[in-house]
Amino acid sequence: MKYRITHRTAYRYSEPASLSQNELFMLPRQTATQRVEESRLTISPEPQYLRRRTDYFGNIVQVFMVQQPHTELSVTAESRVETSPSEHPPLSATPAWEEAARRLRSHALPAELEATQFVFASPMIRLSAATRDYAAASFPAGMPILAGAVDLLRRIHTDFAYDTAATTIDTPVEQVMASRRGVCQDFAHLAISCLRGVGLAARYVSGYLKTLPPPDVPALVGADASHAWVSLFVPEIGWVDLDPTNNLLPSETHITLAWGRDYGDVTPAKGVVMGGGVHTLAVAVEVAESQD
Amino acid sequence: MADMFPSGPPDSAATRTPSTALFDGAPCPPETFCEAFDASGKPRPHWEPLIAAFDARGVAGLTRSQERVRRMRHEDGATYNLFDDATGRGVPWALDMIPLPLTAAEWAGVEAGLTQRAFLLDRLLTDVYGPQQLLKEGVIPPEIVFANPRFLPPCHGIKPAGGRFLAFYAADLIRGPDGRFRVLRDYAATPAGIGYALENRIVISRVFSELYHRTQIRRLAPFFHAFHDSLVQRAFRRRVEPGIVMLSPGPECRIYFEHALLSRYLGYPLVEGQDLTVRNGKVLLKKLAGLEPVEVILRLLDDDLSDPLVLRLKTESGVAGLIQAAREQQVDLVNPIGSGFVDTPVLPVFLPELCRRLLKADLLLESHPAWWGGSAEGRAHLLNHAEELSIAPALDDAALPVDPAHLPAAIASAPHGFMARAPLHPAVVPAWDSAGVRPRFSLLRLFACATDQGYAVMPGGLAVTAPDAATLAGGVPEQQMSKDIWVLSDRPVDPFSLMAGLRSSAELSRGNDLPSRVADHLLWLGRYLERAESLVRLLRSVLRRLSGEARPGDIPELSYLLNLLRAEGILPAAPEAGSDIPRFQELSAQLNTALYRQERPESVAAVLKQVQEAARKVRDRLSLDSWRVINRLSGLADTPAADPLEYLNETLFTLSAFSGLAMESMTRGLGWRFMDMGRRLERAINHARLIRIGLSRICDESGGALEALLEVADSIMTYRARYRTAFQLAPALDLLLVDESNPKSLAFQCSQIAAHVEHLPRLSNRRFAEPEERKALEMLTAVRLLDPAAMSRAEAGPPHAALEAFLESMEANLKDFARQISAHYLSRVPATPHFSGMPVDRRP
Repeated sequence: MKYRITHRTAYRYSEPASLSQNELFMLPRQTATQRVEESRLTISPEPQYLRRRTDYFGNIVQVFMVQQPHTELSVTAESRVETSPSEHPPLSATPAWEEAARRLRSHALPAELEATQFVFASPMIRLSAATRDYAAASFPAGMPILAGAVDLLRRIHTDFAYDTAATTIDTPVEQVMASRRGVCQDFAHLAISCLRGVGLAARYVSGYLKTLPPPDVPALVGADASHAWVSLFVPEIGWVDLDPTNNLLPSETHITLAWGRDYGDVTPAKGVVMGGGVHTLAVAVEVAESQD
Repeated sequence: MADMFPSGPPDSAATRTPSTALFDGAPCPPETFCEAFDASGKPRPHWEPLIAAFDARGVAGLTRSQERVRRMRHEDGATYNLFDDATGRGVPWALDMIPLPLTAAEWAGVEAGLTQRAFLLDRLLTDVYGPQQLLKEGVIPPEIVFANPRFLPPCHGIKPAGGRFLAFYAADLIRGPDGRFRVLRDYAATPAGIGYALENRIVISRVFSELYHRTQIRRLAPFFHAFHDSLVQRAFRRRVEPGIVMLSPGPECRIYFEHALLSRYLGYPLVEGQDLTVRNGKVLLKKLAGLEPVEVILRLLDDDLSDPLVLRLKTESGVAGLIQAAREQQVDLVNPIGSGFVDTPVLPVFLPELCRRLLKADLLLESHPAWWGGSAEGRAHLLNHAEELSIAPALDDAALPVDPAHLPAAIASAPHGFMARAPLHPAVVPAWDSAGVRPRFSLLRLFACATDQGYAVMPGGLAVTAPDAATLAGGVPEQQMSKDIWVLSDRPVDPFSLMAGLRSSAELSRGNDLPSRVADHLLWLGRYLERAESLVRLLRSVLRRLSGEARPGDIPELSYLLNLLRAEGILPAAPEAGSDIPRFQELSAQLNTALYRQERPESVAAVLKQVQEAARKVRDRLSLDSWRVINRLSGLADTPAADPLEYLNETLFTLSAFSGLAMESMTRGLGWRFMDMGRRLERAINHARLIRIGLSRICDESGGALEALLEVADSIMTYRARYRTAFQLAPALDLLLVDESNPKSLAFQCSQIAAHVEHLPRLSNRRFAEPEERKALEMLTAVRLLDPAAMSRAEAGPPHAALEAFLESMEANLKDFARQISAHYLSRVPATPHFSGMPVDRRP
């Protein structure tokens, strides 16, 4: 499927800001099932300094600095992306989860060694007895890894309430585990903590989801949002995406921006501003299916 | 699990026969290396001159020497953060005056070993933050990188501008029972202790100057020169006069003393995160006249605090954009952010193999035996020998589970996070305690820096001692002592002096400009000093009157003075009715509160504390002498004299000494201007208020109030010398307000302020273009044109209303001026993080 994505972030300051430094993960990377036809960034006011590079995890990262006084700052990322369906192996045909964990520990293959960087606790995701115990129910002995993961998704979807007011950008997993509420970022962190807790490799994926309005409601421009889900390393097969928020295995409807150990590695836009007084922020995301 | 250390202090099971009187109290316990004596109990040859010299001084002489050492260190402020604890007496790494000598041969081995280790660790960092070949080949297990909070992925791919990852390195060495040195820990993030080593050397070489100069001891100065040269060379590629700064967390940091000392010694400005900014990918230092490029940063700030943009958005101590500037090789960081990987506790386990792989050689200097829980063999050893080993976190310095019962479960769930160390049997050294010489366990912290050719190891360092091995390794500096390490030489040594510092004058190299933050602190130091002085004067004039024989009610000007104190909020408001002079007991209780109660912001104690705080923030700008006086001030506050009048006199004396020294020893640059401007501003505001309050009483020439005013305004001597008459209003007001030759007059303050403003850096060449310039001129003109006598005479309406209005408007103008100066030169804009907001979604 082809998409046209517009992601606009606008900051307003009550007083002039003298310097704004920012780091963006807003341009989608190429993947096996995602071709980026075009992507560009528009920043206003025009930054005096703009650099683009590929980060440690292979994502596209942009650093820019606006160095003259300004009271508004807007960043617009526009991309045209074509996604193709992911082919998921039959769940029961995947290796037992213990075997997957063993393969990661011995990491004989380069892909397995690479995957080990997503096995351990990371700055925003601690591994706790609580999440490990929660995961254990989905991973009885001999359970095929993907079947176990799908069961975990189903349980998170059932046991946890979607609640945009319950958490903030840096709510720890333990709190989500205790309160049983949160948004996609929290559920992704939770699922990762569960999967890493039993010795598997799981990474955090930042991106977009094409949402379909109910049949008789017109789609609202800008009503979409950025999304987050999880990717699990399955030996011999590779990385398989899992969306705990929506309890599904993503395919053509998920557009990948970047991945890392947790949200902190791939925050779409973050920055430090000198001055500026009171900040207000408006984010608008539009994911439109395109025919051409 | 047993303690890893032999328990308790060395007991009396001496393995030697006593040979000298003084050192008899320092026998070595069995199974330790005895630094000073051989197996038969005879002093080792290189200790003989030292022991002889100490014996010659005797206990009484040495007690005096140690007291001198303590006093010199205290006056230099060589402590951990002096203001951290309530007692203000934290003196960690207290200096023990008996040095630790090492022979040239012993040192040669240590030096070669540390040099090799520095090369090795540099190569390791280059690989970890580059191709990661060692990881791919399995030489280092993935946990050591991927599970390690000290590995910072955002710093991957950065090539240091100076060409080296490890430019400054420290290591802790322990000498085992076999006499061999082994490395316990390596440090690269922010190696600490080199400043203390420098301070120790300065103090010991002074206290034992004869012994020091008679013995061939390698000097430390050449090492600091090498260090400085290497920093300059790194920067040289870009500019002839390189900008080198030291980036510190600031005075809140526990070892700020060291940062200030090094800054003064090396001649690099000591800056904090907010002093630096990144523009166009370059690092700039914010100074009064503008932004100045910085090429090299000696970074004394932890890795994860160094760049809030990339690492931790909520910290304020770092410099946003620093990593980006380093990535573009626009700045050379010593050491680069991420080099804290070297500090990973378990790393030594892998060094023998890494050394063979990277340097094709065996490790010259072994590490203390340790095992890693992440490998099958290591885990087996750890679990099988848990009783005699010491278990520690392998990757970070997090605490172990409080309840030892939880440890096995924690190890089982993440074995790679744990390691075990063999028991420590550190060498024993003789150390001086208050009564004599006692044995203590020792550890050496040694330092190396990168040079053109390779690495230079500092011939000396910090020997840390403790009464038991656990305290030694536990890193609780409050319970540790330090020693100067004397590396002996077979050849005569160059008589390099440490005293002068590296550059003849640090001020000179800083030019005539300074960081805005420093100017701000200096301005406030000036203001607090003046505030303290005037408060002390005011209280003293009251106490002096009360200490006489007259009853309070019989002293006419007392009620005027008390009113002044009440108007300033120093004393509580007067009782509603009757006499405004309270009973004696009540009054002395109130005065006592005004003197000593630190929690009352107007008290002398509180204002003195503000003086000390302000001084501490610009500690690196103050001369050593003036810093010593500040430390006396803290001693004064802790042990106030029994007589409050004496306390005030002492305080005033100390404050004057500080002002004199600080002002005298400062070059007449911008720093001096801001400090003096602060003083003038405070004095002018205070003066205007003093005269305005109770103006009617002053004008009543009979009441003694005028004399009291002249006294608190410190102008009474001038008045007497000039007029030799009874106190009269007109000449007194003239002297206090408009006489520009009286350094205490309002006019004098205004003319000084105007002169300072004229010398401040500014963009426009047009005079009086800036609001603060116009305000200064306006104030000076107003006070010059003032005719107080005429004002009083011509008055219709309430008496003295015009003069009162004038003083009130002066006060308002002075405060406006202070705000304008601050807005133009000193404003520190807060930086705030922002996010794009959380990813949210709607369930289908």
